[in-house]
Amino acid sequence: MRTQLLSLAGLIFLAPGIIIGCSVDQTPGEPQAQEQSQPQAAAGTLQVRANGEERAREGLVSSDGWRITFNNLYANLADVTAYQSEPAFNPEQGGEIQAEEKVVVLDQVQTVDLAQSGDGQDSVLVAEASNVPPGQYNALSWRMVPATEGPAQGQTMVMSGTAEKEGQTINFVLNIDREFEYVCGEYVGDERKGIVQAGDTADLEATFHLDHLFGDGEKSADDPINQGALGFEPLAALAQNGNLQISTSELQSQSPQTYQQLQEILPSIGHVGEGHCREANTQTVG
Amino acid sequence: MNSQWKIIFPFVVISVFGASTRAIAHGVRMQARETQAIEVNAEYDNGDPMVNAQVTVYAPNDPATPWLEGTTDNNGNFVFTPDASQSGNWSVQVRQAGHGSIVNVPIEGNQAQAGGDSATPESSTSRVMNTGAANFTPLQIILMGAAGVWGFIGTALFFMRGNKTNSELRRSESQR
Repeated sequence: MRTQLLSLAGLIFLAPGIIIGCSVDQTPGEPQAQEQSQPQAAAGTLQVRANGEERAREGLVSSDGWRITFNNLYANLADVTAYQSEPAFNPEQGGEIQAEEKVVVLDQVQTVDLAQSGDGQDSVLVAEASNVPPGQYNALSWRMVPATEGPAQGQTMVMSGTAEKEGQTINFVLNIDREFEYVCGEYVGDERKGIVQAGDTADLEATFHLDHLFGDGEKSADDPINQGALGFEPLAALAQNGNLQISTSELQSQSPQTYQQLQEILPSIGHVGEGHCREANTQTVG
Repeated sequence: MNSQWKIIFPFVVISVFGASTRAIAHGVRMQARETQAIEVNAEYDNGDPMVNAQVTVYAPNDPATPWLEGTTDNNGNFVFTPDASQSGNWSVQVRQAGHGSIVNVPIEGNQAQAGGDSATPESSTSRVMNTGAANFTPLQIILMGAAGVWGFIGTALFFMRGNKTNSELRRSESQR
């Protein structure tokens, strides 16, 4: 009788122990899986826009004094994806995006002209995704691949415009066919972006910092942005009769040093506002 | 209370408390309380501090609206005390002249842990509270309690078994 009592009591306490022991590990203090018992939250819309800032739309003065204005600044984006990352992704610390939500906003290829103002805003709409889960999308990634059609066909970026300095004018077209993959953290700017609320629309921004390439003539020569910039003089030196149309492969043969500098700078031009990105192919953070 | 006192009493009250009010105006009141402060230090890649940079703090309950705005000091530091009742990620954005970064500081109750990089909170003067039972599920707590009770029962059964054995031994010895 006593043995039976012991066996029964043992089973009573062993069973819940096994259940708990075999359950999924849970970090102390971590919110329990309330999402599973809650009804599906209403969805929202997430836009991704591209922005070359006022330097692309209004022009800039390079670190070496060339006044550059762009007729077109084509960027060819693909595989644009937004994430709700927890913890927040920091491109400077390495690692990968820990996505709790992942939304592919653009799964095709889209060419945008960063020199043109888009739909009443400074930035240009790349794509939008509807029915996305609410929350804060604090990471963004995109690829840049050669366009298969359109004005940037065969290129990932095409910069065309005019450079002027001391009475000299150069009409230029710079074709870039190299692929990039930018993996970025949270947007940093005047307002916080990427917070999708139910039934509402939020946006994220792929930002291109052209001052990394051409420098900023309004800053001192020893400013870090100017010390690393190419400027425009090396390109102007390749112009003939006031015209320059050159691809990266042609640049490599005509001016290897300029080509090498361009290769080092381009991975750093992708940003999210003032927030940083990591160019995955080179592990360059800019 | 007669009518004379009805007139005099309010003046007595006013004169007593009016005099004490003038005395307090020259006094000093101090209160000391312990709070959790988050210190953020922001610097450029070359190590220069981001002096007088724009700081925006976002609370977890309303991440789209600035909870606090300010500027860094001459060493690129900014200190603030978050509302400990708002658990979650407190986000601190630091910007200056086209350069910026944002760092998240997870706060759980009165417990703060800092992390980040270019705008790294260097210290969080927090007193870590022992959350104790809050870390266990109700089922786990019930099981632990039941296990404790079963420990007592099992111990009692063990000694009962021992006593019977001894009595059986004595009985067998007496039979011999």
